[in-house]
Amino acid sequence: MNCQRVRDLLPELLDPRAEAAAHGDVRAHLTACPECARELATLTATAAALDTMAPSHPSPRLRTNFYAMLAAEKQAAGGAFAAHPPPARSARAPLWRTLLTPLAGCALLAIAFYAGRQTTPAPLAADLQTRAELKKLQEQVNKMGTLVGYSLLQQQQGPANERLRGVLTAARAEAPSDKILDDLVSALAFDPSANVRLRALEALYPHADRDVVRAGILAALPREQNPLVQLELIDFVAAAEDSAAAPALQRISLDESTNRSVRDAAQRALARF
Amino acid sequence: MVERAVAPPPVDTATQPRSDHALMLAVRDGELDALGELFERHHGPLYGFLVKLTGDRTAAEDIAQVVFQRMLKYRHTYRDDGSFTAWMYHLARRCAADHFRRSNAAPHATDPAVLHAHADDRPHAAHHATVRDDHALLHAALARLDRDDREVLLLARFQELSFAEISGILECSVGAAKVRAHRALRALRDIYFNLQKEPAS
Repeated sequence: MNCQRVRDLLPELLDPRAEAAAHGDVRAHLTACPECARELATLTATAAALDTMAPSHPSPRLRTNFYAMLAAEKQAAGGAFAAHPPPARSARAPLWRTLLTPLAGCALLAIAFYAGRQTTPAPLAADLQTRAELKKLQEQVNKMGTLVGYSLLQQQQGPANERLRGVLTAARAEAPSDKILDDLVSALAFDPSANVRLRALEALYPHADRDVVRAGILAALPREQNPLVQLELIDFVAAAEDSAAAPALQRISLDESTNRSVRDAAQRALARF
Repeated sequence: MVERAVAPPPVDTATQPRSDHALMLAVRDGELDALGELFERHHGPLYGFLVKLTGDRTAAEDIAQVVFQRMLKYRHTYRDDGSFTAWMYHLARRCAADHFRRSNAAPHATDPAVLHAHADDRPHAAHHATVRDDHALLHAALARLDRDDREVLLLARFQELSFAEISGILECSVGAAKVRAHRALRALRDIYFNLQKEPAS
């Protein structure tokens, strides 16, 4: 055995897994070859130095972090120890879930709706009587509110906001009586607040075909001094095409003390007649 | 015995201790607590391997942590006929490679307090003064060893792995693993004795 072959095998002699009796021919060569023996000595010293290296110990941080990570993983897994499904099965599962889940949800919803309709008890006679009483009571309350509103409308000496509430209440009446319309016309003609007069005029719009309303508008038109209310009154008579308002419009259009916009509006209304 | 800062979960001592392989199969099947026992058995040697491989205690702890994380993450890939230790070092080798890749890619911050240690990387003067004793010399020699040589040498000398297992970790034949381990020992020897011959300041 030559030196090169022996030197190739020297590390095997230092391998702790190698049998002590192995490579007898190599050991025999070493006894006769100082160079190879020196080679073995240096390798042995290196391996011995490696084996005597002090073991390193991690800091407590590693253990702390590991158990924190393990706890988090267990929590994420829901603490379930069930076997994890194989990838093929897990790949198919979402497809079934995707198809079946909405269908199952709809089916359950339909069943619940049908069952609810079937099991809802018929209203009892007592319930029907209670509902009728409630409806009657509600009507009484509404009527009371309307009466209060009318009362407020008639109290022209009261606060403007209360008069305004009265006008708004009257405006909600679907079929106001002549009395209510009279009150609204009176508010339009005499209420000191321009806001109240404007709201009263708005409340009268739906009833422009009523004689009492037309008479009230014609009476209010020459007396009104507020330009905003004047413009609304002119628009009203122009929309109603009430030619009876022409003389009043003529005077407004010629009165130089009247607001220019009001005069122009009066002229445009006259042109429509 | 390693001092424990956090008490591990109690282990049932009434029954025979399970093998590493059995524990890892249990982890794979959902018994995650079994990984705690594997951690207690193997984190010390794993950390020792990583410290010698990286020369950095903090990095070694971080990599060891990642190794156990990957054991959990990839537990379903553990094979019935596998060797837990070989699998663990296989993961460790990959994690260490990731670490070295990041270390090479990231810019290195230099602490002014240790500039004197970087003034001259060659084994002269102040550097040599820090590695006078044999252990320091050996650490210095390991640091200078080629990373692949260092890896196979550490696996062969410290981790009580067979060459069959090492060949599996390195993804080579048993003969090639032996040759690489022997070559690494000779390379370390050369560096180690060269360091010893260099004159101290």
